[in-house]
Amino acid sequence: MLRDITLVLEPGERVLLVGPSGSGKSTLLRAIAGLLETADAGDLTGSVAVDGVAPGSRPGAVGLVLQEPGAGVVAASVGRDVAFGPENVGMPPAAITRVVTTALTTVGLGDLALDTPTSALSGGQTQRLALAGTLALDPSVVLLDEPTAMLDPESAQEVRDAVAALTSRPGAPTVVVVEHVLGPWVDLVERLVVLSDDGRVVADGPVRATLEAERERLLAMGVWVPGEGPPEPVAVDPALVTPRTARTAPALMAAPLVVERTTRLLDGGRRTRRAAELTAGLEAAPGSLTALVGPSGSGKSTVLHALAGFLTPTTPDAVRVTPPDAGPPTSPGELDAPDLARTVAWVPQWSSSTIVAGTVLDEVLATSRALREGRSHNVEIGTDRAQALLAALGLEHLERADPRHLSGGEQRRLAVAAALHHGPAVLLADEPTVGQDRRTWAALVGLVAAYRAAGGAVVAATHDAHVVDRATVVHHLSPPSQAPEVPSPGIPLVARCGPLALLGGALLAVPAGVLSPHWSVSLVVLATQLVLAVVGLWAPGPGALARVRGTALRMLPGLVAALSVGWSTWFLAGRDLDPALTVALRVLVIVLPAAVLIPWIDPDRLGDHLAQRLRLPDRPVVATAAALQRVQSFGQIWSELSRARRVRGLGVSWRRPRTVVAHLGALTMGLLVRTLRAAAELAVAMDARGFATAWSRSWWLPAPWRWRDTLLVLLSAVPLAVALLAPVVGTASD
Amino acid sequence: MATQIEPTTQEPRSRTGRSLTATRPLMGWRTVDILTIAFLGAALGVAFWGWGVFYNGPITALKIGYAPLMGLFSGPWFLAGVVGGLVVRRPGAALFCEVVAALVSMLPGTEWGATVLISGVLQGLGAELVFAIFGYKVFSAGVAALAGALSAPLQWAFEVMSLPAGGGGWYAEWVLRDKVVYLGALVVSGAVLAGIVGWLLVRALARAGALSAFPPGQEHRESHAV
Repeated sequence: MLRDITLVLEPGERVLLVGPSGSGKSTLLRAIAGLLETADAGDLTGSVAVDGVAPGSRPGAVGLVLQEPGAGVVAASVGRDVAFGPENVGMPPAAITRVVTTALTTVGLGDLALDTPTSALSGGQTQRLALAGTLALDPSVVLLDEPTAMLDPESAQEVRDAVAALTSRPGAPTVVVVEHVLGPWVDLVERLVVLSDDGRVVADGPVRATLEAERERLLAMGVWVPGEGPPEPVAVDPALVTPRTARTAPALMAAPLVVERTTRLLDGGRRTRRAAELTAGLEAAPGSLTALVGPSGSGKSTVLHALAGFLTPTTPDAVRVTPPDAGPPTSPGELDAPDLARTVAWVPQWSSSTIVAGTVLDEVLATSRALREGRSHNVEIGTDRAQALLAALGLEHLERADPRHLSGGEQRRLAVAAALHHGPAVLLADEPTVGQDRRTWAALVGLVAAYRAAGGAVVAATHDAHVVDRATVVHHLSPPSQAPEVPSPGIPLVARCGPLALLGGALLAVPAGVLSPHWSVSLVVLATQLVLAVVGLWAPGPGALARVRGTALRMLPGLVAALSVGWSTWFLAGRDLDPALTVALRVLVIVLPAAVLIPWIDPDRLGDHLAQRLRLPDRPVVATAAALQRVQSFGQIWSELSRARRVRGLGVSWRRPRTVVAHLGALTMGLLVRTLRAAAELAVAMDARGFATAWSRSWWLPAPWRWRDTLLVLLSAVPLAVALLAPVVGTASD
Repeated sequence: MATQIEPTTQEPRSRTGRSLTATRPLMGWRTVDILTIAFLGAALGVAFWGWGVFYNGPITALKIGYAPLMGLFSGPWFLAGVVGGLVVRRPGAALFCEVVAALVSMLPGTEWGATVLISGVLQGLGAELVFAIFGYKVFSAGVAALAGALSAPLQWAFEVMSLPAGGGGWYAEWVLRDKVVYLGALVVSGAVLAGIVGWLLVRALARAGALSAFPPGQEHRESHAV
């Protein structure tokens, strides 16, 4: 990857590192951070010294901010996330609070409450949070790996402002930025280092002079040099990407629409928020390019989802599509997978989620094959065209490669080729040009121009001003106005208890169930539990009904289990009702307390308590808490993968079990691959904040055991006592 | 002082052999090991929950016939232990992964309440035992199948135990013959649906390039490098 790199960075120096895609910029950053072997494979030779010692010697000496916002988020709240580094080096809690506040103020997040959920932050705020997390460890060097590549212009400026604020302070750390869009960074840095294709330093000097001297070389590398307009799009033969059906009318039309998103809360309630608002109608006319622009959080991706029929707007028939076989206009959600694929194609922001095949060439052909076009005599034409498409996007040498091994930029281009090969009428693209250098940008924009010339329509969500310049229509989206929050329901008694007490209460139900010898006893135990459940879930104010509904819903599987266990025992143990009732009630006794108590466990607090109260080893506990708070995102990944397959014509039909198995298998693999990648990224981010050596961590927040925790455990022990005493009392009274 | 980066030369390492082991010391868990187990456990926990819905729906039909055969469909719950052990190859990996998966599958509410957590420990211990017997050195399909099979017995004992004073597990009231059939079904299911399927899954993940930081990923690279 990298060869013979020798670099000396002076304290406080601000360095911009550029090079063509694949030149090893990210690798060099990880080497400086001492994290090369954290989650990568390969052979490392050479050494890195920070302040004369290896970079891992002082935890946090080298801070690292990753490209994807959120990849390095450790905790569920802003305060906890920044506190992670100081905790790893064993800083006392009072000092941590000071450090956290200072770090957040430096990056311009000082006005956020410390318990603000990290999931509620915008992309720009998340990147600044990551910067604050590194600052909390007083780094000598801060490394920024394309920190603004995935952000809209305003958010990107916020991040640069934070970097400027950081570097203007006395004793500021050395800052190294990797970027391929140089313009906005030139005033912030003083030195420019240029890497070549094969990972060597080819230029190194003061930023403006080096820019001047190396201008031609940088342009040839595809670097976005300031003052240079966009490159001329490469001319691509429209025959490669001609829509299957020639049209004169728009294949997709949308009336102004609103998309709402409802999340089910753990306590059984629901919260509905406006996710996106399209204020003007939209027509994807042949040859047009419609640009959706707006800050992150304005719902651009959500509008694309609605146009593809993945989400239903509040007015269900706001989006109408006309499938190629001249059927009447219909809403895209009602089409089957092949018809949807013939009408619209979708390139999501995470283009790796659309991968459905094992080689790059098969990937391009997948939808055409699914639509049974490649079956008859025109097989050859399809393959030739796919190869020509790959060549147009500079991917021809990767034809036999596994698409999952490509870089992010390559995957994005591949996704566009795979979306267009079968000739859909409309292309919906989410940030198609992110991560492209000048060369690949010119190829990609050229291909899209060819598609438009051939009669295709494009709707793109984009931050790229050069793409917006080419648009026929521009829709400006703004974050949708929210209805005022409904008053939060009263807090029930169980919600005031700590996670260990809740878990203990649920576990105490197991012996209570197991030790109940007979259904008559179990019935008394169950009645006791029901009374306790009512007490525990009671709260003043509204929301009681939602809590009851939520608990009942969670009890549903338990009821099914009780019935089936009871039936099997009746059937197998002499057709006797007595033992059947006994085991059925046993199941209910064990399940009910869990259904009441478990939902109130907060993953972060569980971590605090497991480590501080139960003295479980710190590092596995922190990792488990981080995994628990991402469980929700697994559901989102699952539905994104599922949508991607549908829009590529790979539908599921219950009449053909093979498609169901293929679908489930593909989604499971996709989810696991994404999960493993997330774990590897987070490992890098955590080690950059001293987690590798966190042998004696401190904990910022205390894990108190309160009197109400004792009360909960005592009350949860009552059913167990009933189970033990009821038979004795029963015998005595006989 | 300044930050310095200098090249040195060193022979690249090369290795041969069957199963690659984790880096030494075996108990020297790297951050990526811990996180990968936790994340794998969480993802599989979500899958467990989904499987539970399926198990309670269509498969429950079996209970109407001969319930002990339900054991044939229990294998997927042992998957986390096998996969965790095969990927990270360190002592405790199988147990840790299965417990996290159990914890996650408990959160949305299941038919088993807090017993899920106990089951996670019992199943994870079974798989862990097999990897330990082989000294964390052999990770073949056979060992994986054995790990899947041995995830079953402790779990089985917990489900069919019956206490002298009355009380016991789910299936305490069954006659011995049915209990033994149930154990057989669990073991077969564990060997196939957790062991072999888990081994294939890890191989597929390595092929997808998702395990580059782990021994299975290294094995895949070496077998394709030559």
